[in-house]
Amino acid sequence: MNSSAFIWLIVIPVFSSPVVYLLGRLGVQQKIIRRRTHLVRWTAFAALLMTFVPFLLAVRDYFQGELGILKIEAIWLQVDGLSLLVTMVVLILGILVVLFSGPYMADEIGEEKYYAMLLAMIGLMIGLSCASDLFNLWVWFEAMAVSSYLLVAFYRRQPAALEAGMKYLVQSAAGSVFVLLGIALVLGSTGTLNLAHLHISAQSSPILLAAGALFIIGFGVKAALVPLHTWLPDAHSQAPSGISAMLSGVVIEMGLIALLRVLTALSGESQAWGVILLAFGACNMLLGNLLALRQVQVKRLLAYSSLSQVGYMLLGLGIAYYTGQSQGAQGALFHLINHGLLKGLAFLSVGALVYVLGISLGNHAPLTIEDLSGVSKRYPLAAIALSLAVLGLAGLPPLAGFMSKWQIFLAGFESHNTVIVWLVVFAALNSVLSLGYYAPLVNRVYRKEPSPAVVAGSSLPVVMTVPLIVLTLAVVALGFWPGMINWITQPAGIALLKGF
Amino acid sequence: MAGLLIWLIIGLPWAGAVIVWLVKDQRPRAQHALAVGFSATSALAALFLVTLAGSEKAFSLPMGNAYGELTFIPDGLGVFLAAVASVVGSLCILFSVDYMRGEAQLGRYYSLILLFIGAMSGLALSSNLLFLFFFWEITALCSYALISFNNDDPKAVAGGIKALIMTQLGGIGLLAGALVAYAYLGSYQISDFLANAESLSPALLGVLAFGFLAAAAAKSAQFPFQTWLPDAMEAPTPVSALIHAATMVNAGVYLLARFYPAFEHVPGWKEAVMIVGLVTALMAALMAVTANDLKRVLAYSTVSQLGYMVYAIGVGGVFASQLHLFSHAIFKALLFLSAGAVIHAVGTRDIRLMGGLGKEMPWVRNAFLIGGLALAGLPILNGFWSKELILEAGAEGGPDWALALMMLGAGFTGLYTLRVYWLVFGGEKRSSLHAHDATLAMRISLGLLIAGSLTSWLLAGSFNHLLCETLPFHEIHDLALVEILRVVIMAPLTWLALGVIGFGMLVWWLRDRLSWLTRGLGWLNSLTAHSFGFEWVNLQIIKIVKGLSGVAAITQTGMLNWNVVGIVGGLIVILIYLGWSML
Repeated sequence: MNSSAFIWLIVIPVFSSPVVYLLGRLGVQQKIIRRRTHLVRWTAFAALLMTFVPFLLAVRDYFQGELGILKIEAIWLQVDGLSLLVTMVVLILGILVVLFSGPYMADEIGEEKYYAMLLAMIGLMIGLSCASDLFNLWVWFEAMAVSSYLLVAFYRRQPAALEAGMKYLVQSAAGSVFVLLGIALVLGSTGTLNLAHLHISAQSSPILLAAGALFIIGFGVKAALVPLHTWLPDAHSQAPSGISAMLSGVVIEMGLIALLRVLTALSGESQAWGVILLAFGACNMLLGNLLALRQVQVKRLLAYSSLSQVGYMLLGLGIAYYTGQSQGAQGALFHLINHGLLKGLAFLSVGALVYVLGISLGNHAPLTIEDLSGVSKRYPLAAIALSLAVLGLAGLPPLAGFMSKWQIFLAGFESHNTVIVWLVVFAALNSVLSLGYYAPLVNRVYRKEPSPAVVAGSSLPVVMTVPLIVLTLAVVALGFWPGMINWITQPAGIALLKGF
Repeated sequence: MAGLLIWLIIGLPWAGAVIVWLVKDQRPRAQHALAVGFSATSALAALFLVTLAGSEKAFSLPMGNAYGELTFIPDGLGVFLAAVASVVGSLCILFSVDYMRGEAQLGRYYSLILLFIGAMSGLALSSNLLFLFFFWEITALCSYALISFNNDDPKAVAGGIKALIMTQLGGIGLLAGALVAYAYLGSYQISDFLANAESLSPALLGVLAFGFLAAAAAKSAQFPFQTWLPDAMEAPTPVSALIHAATMVNAGVYLLARFYPAFEHVPGWKEAVMIVGLVTALMAALMAVTANDLKRVLAYSTVSQLGYMVYAIGVGGVFASQLHLFSHAIFKALLFLSAGAVIHAVGTRDIRLMGGLGKEMPWVRNAFLIGGLALAGLPILNGFWSKELILEAGAEGGPDWALALMMLGAGFTGLYTLRVYWLVFGGEKRSSLHAHDATLAMRISLGLLIAGSLTSWLLAGSFNHLLCETLPFHEIHDLALVEILRVVIMAPLTWLALGVIGFGMLVWWLRDRLSWLTRGLGWLNSLTAHSFGFEWVNLQIIKIVKGLSGVAAITQTGMLNWNVVGIVGGLIVILIYLGWSML
């Protein structure tokens, strides 16, 4: 039985985006309301809350064996385990970011655009996860990217934000061209763009190999594979903190998801893809860690740490492609979820501190590690949230990051392949190395002598604490009970390897 | 029943950790009371569990794909370590009521200690390798956070991070072991691993054996990872007593004992274990002789005593090592807490500034003296019996030269113990420090530990019996207490060892007449001051990593042109690889 009700997952956020914008603009111009802040943010919140209804229905349908598919002429949208997993992370992080952004973005110029773009980006990411042919995959991907450029360069009066947006735009555009070229090669040599058909029919050929290389580079720019990552530290640190959380937590992973969809379709060479992903994974882990070690700005440090976290996902995925076993993919997708939660938590708690120590006082200077001194005294919640987030990213138990890294490492050992086993050891060494920059953050936060910035800080609004509490509980719960997420990582990992 | 108790032993301290944190630092009295209450209840549960020890699973919960089953087995090794952790833990918390009075951030302090106690018991009782590692890492996390409890002090921060990174580095060995067990044997259960280890290829088993040795050495501060423990002394003293003397540092010895049956036939493994223990025991004893920081002397002596336990395992004396672990946990906690009382009273850790404190704090002096005699290994204290048993095991299962060196180490132990006792409590005052004797909470915890040091050896027989009964893979001779005592007393080795220890102490008495010797050994002094060059190695590693980080920074040019070069370059590399793989 087929069902197309899942389309509301995409429709609600995407169509509420212009509504939010118009409400904000017209409401203020017609003097219907005095402050747009409350109107736009709660409308956006309501829209996302509503989206959970079709999500839950789609989950139910999926586990009842109903195929979620919608065909409009040649455009097919289809729900599988991977789409549900992505939707879940995007929606949870999205709604928390909207909640968090309330005070953070209050009365910024263009506040209504912020929520409109955020909603659009969320809807487009969900759409991307359901796309089942190459061309539409690319369209969703580009549309999502456009909304994210605007959000990165949201503080348009700050040169640094504009520079970051510019780099992001140019590099992504370069990647985009490669993807289009790849699509042309695939269409020219096989005559189809449908991923499922490609998966069944595509024979190994030099042209398809070249297309695969183009896809890896094209989508890899967004996924921040080293050496295509150079836009990332600027973009993630200059964006408003809520957007940093979205970018690091889900947007870069969307590049990975798009890439995986395509590589699975070109399955004739999956061992080669596995090797390439493993190589990128090793580079990402090492370079991300080495660069993060030198950072003094907290958001930049977290941005670099995203590079190394993507490296762990690549490791798991590479193992899965190389061996054909889904354990690595499951681990990588579990890590994707955990990274979304942990990095979301890290950016939101840092964002909360940026807000109370800077933005609420009209100061937009970047937050440095020194400013964090003694934060725990006045902001105990933000302090523990940030500490747990970074320790979780370093892979310490009892936090979520430990469990997903474990599953990835286990997949490596299950391959019984010496090189992969050594790569796992290398990854473990990298986790130790990452403590070199995570641990000092925690030490700073728990100093007894507060920094001048902390002394002068304002108080933390209650509504900003909600996302911190939710995410903190989630990362601890997943650390104790990793099995509770199996219901989604397992089908997603299997779906990933068999191509719908 | 045992399953419920295990939940209480781990769950109570953890629940306490959350509650104490939630109570907030504005109510310190409530925090003290809650911490004592939760830890003491858990200690009672742990003592009760000892009576229910067995070799069957007490609890089992499937954790889903890739994570196996969470299981706990209350066998002899496990229950005794859990009991040590929660009993000594609750005594240290009780001691903290006085020691930490008026300190800031009490909530964090107690939460972390309680989290540690629960994790340590979990580590001891877990019979699943994944969760063994899970608890293992939580103890490392707590240790790090408590070492740098005083985050404003850069030395404390550096010490904490150093401890964390070094133990984690070694921990990779254990991680690999757990992964191999599941990937090759299909189970995380330790019993499955011990039963089927022979079916692994010799090369793999060898890698595992040495991986576990690395993990144990890092955790127990053994050669070549010994440098983190002295720096860990920046922690508040009750923490040093609990984590860095009585419990966590023993986890490495425990690990070796636990997996001994799987690795004993791996070529070279036992010898390696023996040499690691031997080198550490001697090196650390020498460093203890020359150190001038009260806590560092005790830290070096901990490292040295751990070396004795590791040596014991290397020569096949699993029971001796565990008995010494037990004795050491008690007398070293006693020594550390007494030292804490001294430091709390005089406000310095430099023993050159102390002296003559015995008159002002007789209570603490007596406690320290008893702990010190046990450390030196004099009868009839608990340290005497266990140390002699280790030397017995060495005579039976190890080469004579190693035994001779270990005897020499025992002599050094006598020397540095007497030295530190004398410099702190004996002689004349060397500065105008004012001291006061231990207060009530301190006296209770010290008193119980004194009682332990005097009598814990009486449990040797039942402990031995428990290990025999509940460890199906270990070969331990069932000896009653009387037989154990007879073995020790009848052995000529015992009297020889006592002679050496006495000689070590004599050297301290005759120090003025032996000044020619101290001058002649000046080079040794500078060697110990530089930790035999190991600090230099650590610094070089840090320097290399920083250098690499600097090189990496060059790649982040911030220029769009170069960024696009990266993209195109990446494409070219992939195309070349694909072209090459098609050939």
